[in-house]
Amino acid sequence: MTSKIINMAEKIKDAEDRLLEAMFDSKPLADDGFSARVVQKVNRQIWFRRLTLPVAALIGGAIAFKPLAGLVTALANFSSLIPQDLVSGAASSIPQFQTVVLGAILLAVGLLSMRLLEE
Amino acid sequence: MSASADNELVARAVSGQDTAAFGELVRRHQSHVRNFLRKLAGDYALADDLAQDCFMHAWDKLQTYSGRGSFIGWLLKVAYTTFLQSKRKSRRYAQILESAGHVADQESRSTVLPTEEVTDLDKYLAVLSEEERAIMVMSYACGLSHREIGDATDMPVGTVKSVIFRGKQKIRNSFDIKDHKHG
Repeated sequence: MTSKIINMAEKIKDAEDRLLEAMFDSKPLADDGFSARVVQKVNRQIWFRRLTLPVAALIGGAIAFKPLAGLVTALANFSSLIPQDLVSGAASSIPQFQTVVLGAILLAVGLLSMRLLEE
Repeated sequence: MSASADNELVARAVSGQDTAAFGELVRRHQSHVRNFLRKLAGDYALADDLAQDCFMHAWDKLQTYSGRGSFIGWLLKVAYTTFLQSKRKSRRYAQILESAGHVADQESRSTVLPTEEVTDLDKYLAVLSEEERAIMVMSYACGLSHREIGDATDMPVGTVKSVIFRGKQKIRNSFDIKDHKHG
């Protein structure tokens, strides 16, 4: 009710209001390709955002490849120092050890993919 | 321009990242937004650049439009924010130039229209403050209600009314508004 009264009060305009409306009134502007330019920019932005993450991952991977390869080699050398019976002991103490590791990796990849899709 | 059609286009643009639907929204409202920014900035080229930025921001924030109030009201809020941000940026840029000992190029910062005919409206707008100008244009050129203007400028309705009153008074005191050239 109150808002209706306020709207009514707004609609009651005096001569000065009407004059100001006429004064502020301007011709509608032709589009002249304006909306097409905006849509083009939006499309470009969408593609840019889609490409940013994979490109960043590729560049990061390329930069990190050499140090990572070194780390893997060092770890491989280190694992030879661990006694074999300790490794086999861990595997036998946790049933289906390999399945658990694979499941954990799949879960991590799945969560990451979900997040990427959401973004 | 029906509000339900606007809402339908917004829903399509948001849910399916439908740029064609968004393009239709731009086509429908570009004239209002560009005219609003032209009156605010006083520089047609700058206003059109700002209008493009405004629609880019609108695309990014489209999911925040709740459907409460008109879409053009929401869009003019984005346009006004874009205008204020650009003003702030250019002011900061001028300050940096000044502190670096450079004299900023007056021509590039100018907001007058050297090549366009200066209408009575331009003169009237010149006596208003930035805030008054924005509110008067929203009210008299874009036809927004006081409530919509309040939403767009984050001001209470009472303040909007008093700003309009003040703006009218300034125009009345400076000019005889009975005889004017249309803006």
